Amino acid sequence: MQSAASPRRRFPEPFPVSPDTRQVLTLRNDLAELSRLTAFVDEFCDVVQPGEDDRMALQLVLEEAVTNVIHHGYTDGQGHDFTVTLQLMDEGRVCAVVTDDAAPYDPLARPPVDVDAPLEERQIGGLGVHLIKRLTQHAYYERRDGKNVLTLERAIRRAS
Amino acid sequence: MDITESIQNSATVLGLAGRLDGLTSGTLEQKVDALVAGGAKRIVFDCGQLLYVSSAGLRVFLSSAKKLKTAGGSAAFAALTPAVREVFELSGFTTMLEIHPNAAAATAAKP
Repeated sequence: MQSAASPRRRFPEPFPVSPDTRQVLTLRNDLAELSRLTAFVDEFCDVVQPGEDDRMALQLVLEEAVTNVIHHGYTDGQGHDFTVTLQLMDEGRVCAVVTDDAAPYDPLARPPVDVDAPLEERQIGGLGVHLIKRLTQHAYYERRDGKNVLTLERAIRRAS
Repeated sequence: MDITESIQNSATVLGLAGRLDGLTSGTLEQKVDALVAGGAKRIVFDCGQLLYVSSAGLRVFLSSAKKLKTAGGSAAFAALTPAVREVFELSGFTTMLEIHPNAAAATAAKP
């Protein structure tokens, strides 16, 4: 039993590495699904408790990746399901995977954006993939078992 | 996202609150298009309550600045929150666009 005279010392809690820290979400190829994606990333972050900048970065890179699938992945006008997985790999690394069964497409192969171009010459497109690359340490694409698999890894820090 | 509209120093100030993402960016684009069609020459995007912006929002900011410039006007961005500032910096927007610490400074500035 804890003595009332010795208040519990507050050490930072360890990262909760558990089965709960791997989460899977199935989405429809409809832009309205973005609100479900936002809630999904927030729930994951509420468990893992990364810093606010990490939470924003995870929201952003997944919105960009999912939007790409919704806009460009399926061209038959039909509804399709695809998945997003978020997993805490170790104390300082989150892995996000977007898997879809649309036609082969590597979003990372887009030509880079010239971020130094003035307003008049600046191209409107390509910023989503640019942000994915800037906000992750590793981003790679592969075609596996008839599916597009986009894997995004980000080093995270807990909020201080 | 909530958008409020006011006129200050003959500039149109759009106060943006919440998330500017793939779901909400179309609303802002329509708003800006209507303003430009109505003859607005100076639009200030007050980002003081804007908590999140994705490439869909950046696209609207960029196209708005281009449309205003083509119309002989200009766009300015004020009171960037830390999250929005980071995305602006990663995208080269802080050097490309006119940025001010607050809406009052943006409406007082002569572009």
